[in-house]
Amino acid sequence: MKLGDSLWGVRCVWLRYFDVFRKGIFYYLITTFAEPFLYLLAFGFGVGSLIGSLQTNGGAVSYRSFVFSGILGQTVLFQGFYEASYGGFVRMYYQRIFQAVAVTPITLSEVLWGELVWDASKATLATAIIALIGVATGDFPTYAPLAVIPVVFPASLLFAGLGLAVAARSRTIEEISYPQYLLVFPMFLFCGVFFPVEQLPAPLQWVAWALPLTAVNSLMRTLTLGFAFQAWSIPIVAAWLGLLVAYSRRAMFRRLVK
Amino acid sequence: MDAPLRVVHLTKRYWLQDRRFLEAVSDVSFDVGPGECLGLLGPNGAGKSTAIACISGFYPVTSGEILIEGIDVHADPKHARQGLGLCAQEDTLDSDFRVLDQLVRHATYFRIPVAEGARRARRLLERFGIADRANDLVESLSGGTKRRLQVARALISEPRVLVLDEPTTGLDPGMRRALWDILTAERERGAAILLSTHYMEEAERVCDRVALLDKGVVRDIGPPGRLVERHMGQAEISEELRPDVVWRRPPNLEDVYLKLTGARLHEPEAA
Repeated sequence: MKLGDSLWGVRCVWLRYFDVFRKGIFYYLITTFAEPFLYLLAFGFGVGSLIGSLQTNGGAVSYRSFVFSGILGQTVLFQGFYEASYGGFVRMYYQRIFQAVAVTPITLSEVLWGELVWDASKATLATAIIALIGVATGDFPTYAPLAVIPVVFPASLLFAGLGLAVAARSRTIEEISYPQYLLVFPMFLFCGVFFPVEQLPAPLQWVAWALPLTAVNSLMRTLTLGFAFQAWSIPIVAAWLGLLVAYSRRAMFRRLVK
Repeated sequence: MDAPLRVVHLTKRYWLQDRRFLEAVSDVSFDVGPGECLGLLGPNGAGKSTAIACISGFYPVTSGEILIEGIDVHADPKHARQGLGLCAQEDTLDSDFRVLDQLVRHATYFRIPVAEGARRARRLLERFGIADRANDLVESLSGGTKRRLQVARALISEPRVLVLDEPTTGLDPGMRRALWDILTAERERGAAILLSTHYMEEAERVCDRVALLDKGVVRDIGPPGRLVERHMGQAEISEELRPDVVWRRPPNLEDVYLKLTGARLHEPEAA
């Protein structure tokens, strides 16, 4: 099978998602940005005004800027995971879109790539816009929205892989709550969104670094706040990315194809 | 000329959770010629949908070969399926799109430009009697209208091979007849049609030939009249409707199926 033909198939699926997004743009914008905004207001401006600044490996930085950068990581995590898990489950189980498209000249493999790439695209767009707001508030340098994209897109693909794997392994939509509460929320709380991971007891720091969001947040703060580059973040993100994307596709094939 | 659809020694097994395997389709072979309609007749669980999932290339085959216009659907699914229109048994309509947009979007999967897709979609909606619902949400349609839309969607690429898995289930008699007329028109266009059904009347009326499928095995295949003649002869069938009320009628495909398999096409309804 030619690569060009496969890329055409993935593009076709991506355009299907984009068309749905375009038609419901108001709804998607509200649901995409409401949550990070609320976190930003509560923690960045609310808690941030109490704390002032904090000392990290990047020197002194205002807590608001610190959280703002963490919200970028949170957006990548939530957007990638929720779109692929709940959205993917609905498309696979209730709407049967994967099954309908995969009997046309587009293969199931292309359908799943299209799903993952779309989920990552949507998360990347949301994160870049939040970074743009960070520029407007003076928390990030002007180049930040563009600079984060090379990290945000693969990181979004990683969390979309996690979401799609969860969708493939869940028998009912309610079962998605297990990884949501036992993995995604702990990552959100303990992987450096709201406080530096160094504040955790040493064993928990190891656990936090084993999870992908800590590495993503580290890279994000290097790009937006000039924190010291922690080189091991890249292999951590790359390893999780390869593992989760491959596993999610395999799990979905096993779910759908007898 | 090669048949547009060739199924050669198709066998499909899959593993069950308790490490046993189920042979859902066993060594099934048939051709469907241009302008021909072949019926796959059998009750639920006979293997019709599994066979169709293999024919579409969605399920891999355990052994055998499926050729759509001479192209192996498993070796080259993208090119083989360019000539395939499929209507699945389940509702697979894309509920994120309105009725017309749904067809246009589906057309793009076959590399049909949007303007051409829209033209074809409008014509199909007219033909299926749902043009007035063009801008409605799929979720607002009745079950019968959804079914018609799903068959219409299978026709958007003007396929040379049309595979329909129980397309008239849930349709009222009027809608069913209207769909049969559309299938007749598709045959006249030259499409090869594979129609899975458990309605004997549908098989007799629409299909040129019928394959009687039982537990994954084709028990016999041929024109409906010839199957009846071959297995039942000219003998009249007597059915006791009520005590002392006997109905004598000519034999039909249901009788053939019962004779060959010991099973009925429809499970008797619970009292």
